[in-house]
Amino acid sequence: MKGLLPVFALLQLVAMRAAAQAQQDTTPRDTTPPAAYFGVTEYRLAREKLELDMQHNGFSVYIIADMEGLAGAVRNATEMRPVSRGGTPQHERFRQELTDEVNALISGARAAGATQFIVNEGHGGTLFRNVLVDRLDPDAILIRGYPKPIVMSTGLNPMVDAIMIVGAHANAGSPGVISHNFAFDSFTVNGKVLNEAGIAAFIGGEMGVPMALASGDDALVAETRDMVGPLETVTVKTAFSRSAAAVLSPATVQRLLRQAARRAVRRVKAGQLRPLTLEKPYRVRFCLRRSFTEDSWIRQTVGRLEGVTASGGQGCFAYSSGSAEAVGNMLNEVEWTVLKP
Amino acid sequence: MRFFLVPLLLCLAFALQAQTPPPSSAPFRDKQIPHEAGFRVFIVPDMEGMGSAVDIREVIAGNEGERYKELTGPDYWDRFRLLLTQEVNATIRGARAAGARSFVVNEGHGGNLFANVLPWELDSSAILVRGFPKPLVMVTGIDSSFGTLMFTGAHANAGSPGVLAHNFAFDTFTVNGNVLNEVGINALIAGELGVSVSLVSGDDVLIEETRKILADGFVAIVTKRAVGRSAAITYSPAKVRRMLQAGAAEAVRRERRGDFKPFTMERPYRVEFALRQTYPDSVVREIAALPEFKLEKTGSRSFRYVTDSARRMGWLLDAIEETVIR
Repeated sequence: MKGLLPVFALLQLVAMRAAAQAQQDTTPRDTTPPAAYFGVTEYRLAREKLELDMQHNGFSVYIIADMEGLAGAVRNATEMRPVSRGGTPQHERFRQELTDEVNALISGARAAGATQFIVNEGHGGTLFRNVLVDRLDPDAILIRGYPKPIVMSTGLNPMVDAIMIVGAHANAGSPGVISHNFAFDSFTVNGKVLNEAGIAAFIGGEMGVPMALASGDDALVAETRDMVGPLETVTVKTAFSRSAAAVLSPATVQRLLRQAARRAVRRVKAGQLRPLTLEKPYRVRFCLRRSFTEDSWIRQTVGRLEGVTASGGQGCFAYSSGSAEAVGNMLNEVEWTVLKP
Repeated sequence: MRFFLVPLLLCLAFALQAQTPPPSSAPFRDKQIPHEAGFRVFIVPDMEGMGSAVDIREVIAGNEGERYKELTGPDYWDRFRLLLTQEVNATIRGARAAGARSFVVNEGHGGNLFANVLPWELDSSAILVRGFPKPLVMVTGIDSSFGTLMFTGAHANAGSPGVLAHNFAFDTFTVNGNVLNEVGINALIAGELGVSVSLVSGDDVLIEETRKILADGFVAIVTKRAVGRSAAITYSPAKVRRMLQAGAAEAVRRERRGDFKPFTMERPYRVEFALRQTYPDSVVREIAALPEFKLEKTGSRSFRYVTDSARRMGWLLDAIEETVIR
């Protein structure tokens, strides 16, 4: 028995080393290329599947539901993320507000004759699962989960009549609440600066679908008007820093959203709101967020994406394509590279 | 001293291996659910294929073991277990409207160890089978008195491009060379008892692949369209409930007309499976040493089991589930 003791000690040592090794093994980065994940690159598949549900007559509204530009929202760490992803229970209240604002858009659009409503989750805080599924207008189709092809434009197709974006935030670098733009510090097409709303308008624009409404803070509203031209807007707050704002009552915001959605549908029907079209080929230039740029693996992985070349400094790239859909797909692969769940 | 220890330790290892315990549900295999008069429906609700659900955090309580701990918050699984219960209630309502009179609901989802349906919210006429382990896992309690079998919230097979696609503990599973997903495996166990499948609900990928398995048909409800492993085009829970209610009524009517056939295969059944790549080798060794089944090892994690009884295959499934969940 005494002779066994050193053996047990040895076994214990081996076990401890194995445990330490296992712990190390769980930390290395997942380096599988983006295209290997079902959901990252299947843009066409998602579009074909959504088209099965599209009405051929009637008026279809595609609503992108983000959260930073919701009534009342000012702070990322506490309000935009659930407990399970490092946030607080306050996020729950904003999920309800998001659902209420989407429902307000739907009821306004319906009053002007819209007949179909597709809601695409646009906020990653809870991995694109923020709308309360059982409190959303029951007529709506909801696209949720992550990864999904082209994040904010999943399934967008030419049968859509109008795009609306709610809870939107200003571009990276703009003086807005929680301003940012996907994984980028800057993103331009043919030299034109695009924020997240602008990118969705660009992808929809190629299909002939106009962006008819945007809501968010004053910075978002001003810059989006500049990018996409005339559209209905609701300014829900005036930003005083990236985490402070003068906010309107949620009840007021919901009333304004209903009215704006109604006007938006009327104006699209009257041919007053035009799709955003840019000249082909699209010359895209983007710089990754500085924090991502410092990560050489991210730089290299993005640099290896099809058609992407390094250009204009560390973490900056160029990409050219004749298809906005392809631009969206590239953007999605970048997003997946920097934001694995 | 060392020279003696090596064989000693090897013997010890073998002794441990030979001691892989029989499934703890084995003494309960002959139990029956009390008989009820009238047309009987056996419902197997799973969660991955239910309306709206797309992410593992929505179908897991977080208490299933180390791997699942950090995966859930107060906003996910709780909300979805109520939606799950409402889906089952809609299915029961529809079946009842078409003349069904007795309902057994057997938890088919491993989250919270097969306890997801809320007993207080479930249609009060139903008998609910909940908890783990249980002798036939997803069809525990089924017998030939049931008029039909329904699967709700089912998910696509391991490797399929469906939402949260998987198949028990397997990367592949075939019987007599036929690829079976979870619905197919359980349909075979029920088929041997003369019970046919009349309704299957889940995402578009699950429905498509199940049509190939149950070629004689069933009422299909597409609850969502998969656009990623954790993303889908989804519909209002209220709409999914309406579809389930109408579908269950149609399923019972057609079942009573004789439209559906029990799913059967030629005997003996040649069951071949590969355990998931992600399991540690110790799990593979334990399963190889299951005393009752004498599995034939055909690859590093592949096995063959030949049996005349699909029920016995079901017991094997439970033995494997008990090993991987323990």
